[in-house]
Amino acid sequence: MKRALCIALFTLMTAPLSAGDLHGKVACKGVRDSSDAVVYVTAVAGKTFPAPKEHEKIDQANLVFSPHVLPVLVGTTVDFLNSDAVLHNVFSPDACAEKFNLGTWPKGQIRSYQFKKECVAALLCKVHPEMEAFVVAVPTPYFAVTKADGNYRIPDVPDGTYTVKVWHPKLRATQKSVTVSGATAAEFEIAK
Amino acid sequence: MNTSIRRLQGVLLCLVTGLILGDAKPAGAVPAFSRKYQTSCQTCHTIFPKLNPFGQAFRLNGYHMPKETEEQIKQKPVSLGAEAYERMWPEMVWPSDLPGNVPFALNTKMANIYSSSLDDTGHQVVHNDFQFPQEANLFAAGTLGKNFGFFGEFTWEERPDGGSDTEIEHARIDVISPFGPEHLVNFRIGKLAPNLYDGFQEMWLMTDNGVDTLFTYNPIGFHGGTGLAEEDAGVSLPSRARAIEMYGVAAHRLFYTIGVASPIGPGGPNGTFGSNSQKDFYARVDYKIGGMGLDGDTTGVQLPPENWREKSLRIGVLGYTGNGKDVNFDIADDEGTPFKMQDRRYNRYGVFASWYFGDLNVFGVALHGTDKLALLDDETLEQINETRRSYDAWFAQADYVIRPPFQVSVRYENLRVADPTIPSIRTLNANLSVLIRANIKAMLEYHRDLRQSQNYTLATVLRFAL
Repeated sequence: MKRALCIALFTLMTAPLSAGDLHGKVACKGVRDSSDAVVYVTAVAGKTFPAPKEHEKIDQANLVFSPHVLPVLVGTTVDFLNSDAVLHNVFSPDACAEKFNLGTWPKGQIRSYQFKKECVAALLCKVHPEMEAFVVAVPTPYFAVTKADGNYRIPDVPDGTYTVKVWHPKLRATQKSVTVSGATAAEFEIAK
Repeated sequence: MNTSIRRLQGVLLCLVTGLILGDAKPAGAVPAFSRKYQTSCQTCHTIFPKLNPFGQAFRLNGYHMPKETEEQIKQKPVSLGAEAYERMWPEMVWPSDLPGNVPFALNTKMANIYSSSLDDTGHQVVHNDFQFPQEANLFAAGTLGKNFGFFGEFTWEERPDGGSDTEIEHARIDVISPFGPEHLVNFRIGKLAPNLYDGFQEMWLMTDNGVDTLFTYNPIGFHGGTGLAEEDAGVSLPSRARAIEMYGVAAHRLFYTIGVASPIGPGGPNGTFGSNSQKDFYARVDYKIGGMGLDGDTTGVQLPPENWREKSLRIGVLGYTGNGKDVNFDIADDEGTPFKMQDRRYNRYGVFASWYFGDLNVFGVALHGTDKLALLDDETLEQINETRRSYDAWFAQADYVIRPPFQVSVRYENLRVADPTIPSIRTLNANLSVLIRANIKAMLEYHRDLRQSQNYTLATVLRFAL
C-alpha cells in the first residue's frame, strides 16, 4: 500500500503539465510580406526562466544580417559572425542593450553580446549603414517569428491564459489575451 | 501704309511665328513612376501629360502615393542607411534611399505642321513640314527616401531649319513634409514650373499648344506691349522659373504656394531670367469643393471607378510681382529709333477655376497685368519718361473624355494688349487626341488667329513615352 502510494505521488509530481502549440497567422498590412513579426508570451505566472547556456547566432554575409529579426530569451548571448571578406561592425543605439559597440572584425571571427534585459535592440553596422537587424529579448521562452506568409508556431506553451504580444520592425505592436488549451490558434493583424 | 497698320502686320506676323516656332512644348508624362509602382500611365494621367485628380495628388504629395505603403512600391529602393540611424543623428548621417532602377524616362514627339500666315506684303505663306522628330525629352524623376523628391527634364529640340536647341527645362529637388502635419509644408528648389500655374501650365495640358496669351505676351514696347514675345523680349509670366517655393495642402482641400524667383528678363519666351539685384515673388491660394482631396483624401467622398471623373469645383487666386530695374530690353519707336526699356514694377493678378462634371473638365484663368515702363536713352541710359501700362488676358478650355482613348479639347484665348492701337488677340485651339496605347498618343490640333482667317496651324502630332 505504502509502495503504491509512493508510486502514485511520484507519477503526479513528474507528469508533464498539459501543453500545446500556440499557432496562427499575423497579417502585416502595408509592408511587402508578413515576415519578421515576433509573437511571444509576456509572462507565465509564478515562473521565471533562467538564461540559456546555448548561444544564438547572427551571421553577416553578403552585407546582410541574417536573420533580420532574432527573438531570444532575456539573458541569451548572441554571437555575431562575420562571413564576409570585408570588415564588419555591430553596434546598437538602444539603451536597453547598453548601446554596445563590438568594434570591427574580419571574416570568420565572432564577437558576442549578452542581452541582459527585456529589449528591442536595433543592430547596425557603421561600416555599411544600410545593414540593419533586430534582437528582441523577451521574458519567456515562448516566442516565434513569422514567415513571409505570416504563419507562426510556438510549441509547448503550458495551458493557461496569457498576454500575447506581437512586435514588428515597421508596424505598430499589438497584444491580446489568449487562453491556451492544447493546440490553440490566435490570429493578429498589425499596421502602421 | 501708315504706322499703325505696319505695327499691326508686324504683330500678326509675330503671333504666327510664335505659333509655328514656339510650339515645342515640354512633355510631362514620366514613365519612371510606371516602373516604380508597376502601374499604368492612366493611374495618374487622363491623357498624358494631363493629370487626373489622383495624379494631381500624387504630384502635390512629392511623388508619393496618398497614404503610400511599402508594398505599393514594386521596385525595391536601394537603402542608403538603416532606419534606426534616424535616432543617431547627428552622430550619423540621416538614412535615406535611392530608386531601385535608374529613374529615367524618354518622351519623343513627331509632328507634321501645316501652317498658314501673311507676310509683310499681305501675301499668304504656307508651310507643310514633317518635323520628325520635333523634340525628345529625357526625364529623371523619383524620390530620395521619405522627405525628398526630384524632377529633371532635358530637352533636345530640332528646329524647322534643321538646327537644334537643348535646354535643361526642369532641375529641382523637393523637400516633402520636413515638419508639421503631412502635406502642409513642402519646399521646391531649382528651375521649375511654379505651382503658381498648377493645372494650366503647358506641362499639365492635354493640348500640344500652351496658353500663349498668359505665358508669352511681351509687355515691353514703346507704347506698351503689342503681342507675343520674340527673342530677347520680356514675358507676362515666366513659364518656368529659377525659384525657391513653399507649398502645401491644408485640411485636404486648401492649396497654397508662395515663391521667390529670379526676375523676368530678355531671353525669349521659354524661361527668361534677368540678373539684377531684385527678386520676384508669387503666391496662390486655391480651395477645392467636392471630388478627391488635393492630397488624395477620399474620406466621405463617393468617387466613380472611372478615375478621370468627379464632380468638383476648384477656385483660386494668384499673383506675381517683380522689379526689373536695371534689366534692359532693346526696343524701337515707330520710326525705328532704338531705345532701352526697363519694366520697373510688374504685377499680375489672376483668378483660376476648374470645374469637373463627369467626363467634362472646364477650366480657365483671367489675368490682369500692370507694368511700370521706364524709357531710357539707348546709349546713356538716361531716363526719358516712365509710363504705366496694363493688359488683360484670359482663357477658357473644355476637355472632354468621349471614351478613355478618345478625348477632345477646345480653348479660347483673349488678350487685350497694353498698346491701345493694337486690337485684342483672340485665338482658338481645338484638339482631338487618341490614345493608341497608354503611352502612345496621336493628336490633331487646329490653332487659329480669330482676327485673320489665313493665320492658322494644323498640327498632326505623334508622341510616345517609355
